[in-house]
Amino acid sequence: MVDAAAAVVYMDPAGLKAIGAGLAVGLTGLASGIAERDIGSAAIGAMAENESLFGKGLILTVIPETIVIFGLVVALLIS
Amino acid sequence: MGLLQKFTRKSSPKQSGSGSNYAYVTARVRAMKSNLLPRETYPRLMNMGIDEITRFIGESQYKQDVDELARTYDGVDLFEHALNRNLAVTFTKLINISEGELNYLISEYLRKYDIWSIKTILRGKYCDASVEEINDSIVSAGQLSYPFLSSLSEKESYESIIDALSGTDYYPTLKGYDGTNLSEIENQLDKMYYTGLSTTVDNPKSNDSKLFSKFIRTEIDIKNLSTLFRLKNAGAEKDEIADLILEGGLHLNIKEIEKLLPLPFSEFVQSLEKYPYWEDISGIVKTEMDSLVELETQLTKSNIKSASSFSHVYPLSIVPIMDYVLNKTNEVHNLRIILRGKAADLDEEIIRNQLVI
Repeated sequence: MVDAAAAVVYMDPAGLKAIGAGLAVGLTGLASGIAERDIGSAAIGAMAENESLFGKGLILTVIPETIVIFGLVVALLIS
Repeated sequence: MGLLQKFTRKSSPKQSGSGSNYAYVTARVRAMKSNLLPRETYPRLMNMGIDEITRFIGESQYKQDVDELARTYDGVDLFEHALNRNLAVTFTKLINISEGELNYLISEYLRKYDIWSIKTILRGKYCDASVEEINDSIVSAGQLSYPFLSSLSEKESYESIIDALSGTDYYPTLKGYDGTNLSEIENQLDKMYYTGLSTTVDNPKSNDSKLFSKFIRTEIDIKNLSTLFRLKNAGAEKDEIADLILEGGLHLNIKEIEKLLPLPFSEFVQSLEKYPYWEDISGIVKTEMDSLVELETQLTKSNIKSASSFSHVYPLSIVPIMDYVLNKTNEVHNLRIILRGKAADLDEEIIRNQLVI
């Protein structure tokens, strides 16, 4: 118990911030990836039949990218 | 709340079955569906002459097929073959682009064409058609490839054809063929197809197999209904009809059909009132019917309509794909009716009645 308390005392706040920022970017990155997976494959499917859907497909595919941008913003705010 | 539940059900990846690429296939199929001829085209086609129709089809999505076959065939035959080829290519594409459970369900459904081709080959051999003639009529839209099917049609006798199919599921049924009982074997093959489909989805675990099962069972109902109507109208005996009834319907299970079997035509029609299909056919069915064309068109129409509306309820599932398969088959069917009808100088009214729009 004593050791743990001592460890808390010596934990660098900057390190914790860095971990928080890392989690914010990392987890949101994964989340965008998962969200984009299905949209991307659907966009490719639609494009394979009709090339004019490229623009729409691209836009829809990158919409979940906002999640990771929010993560990035949070990370920048933290650090 | 219901909406929320629907949403979570749809978006949960678990229901998509193991390893199936629903997003890709459904999006692609929807794009393919947008290439189908719109409804307004058919009245326009009806007003055209044969030359105009052929030009119209030659410029549509069938262009490539028409161009490739133009060297060998001409006239209405060319278009018939182009339509069949396009159907085969499209459905094989569906099998090729799908994965996992989805692929399995689509291939099971498209076995219909394997059976069709086997039947065509056996019929061709039965009436001594030439190899070219048989090959022309094959639609290789299922699992059996065109080279394999044409190698079958090159065989001398029906025995060697059946031997060549010994590794397949059709073999046990085909073994019963003795060169004379073709129609019986054909019925058995069809029955086998539907029994096979019902066992595929017997205890549906995933949501998708459930939807597929519902779709198949509705189709069985509609097949049974048209069989019943045809045979009842022709005054067939009870046992004769019972042989041709398929098991596993959704609203009309085998017990209910057994109750319908002994009834005379007028009572049979009345007793259909309690089934959901009545709504679609009530306007057409009478106690005395000369022609069943209108009724059958209506039944097909209601099948397609229900598939379309379901495909909006379950966007990421097998339903949009089945919906496309139905619509595509129907389009090819309609174009063929128009072309053949016009070529045979049929009355416009007769052709119009046959169309399912």
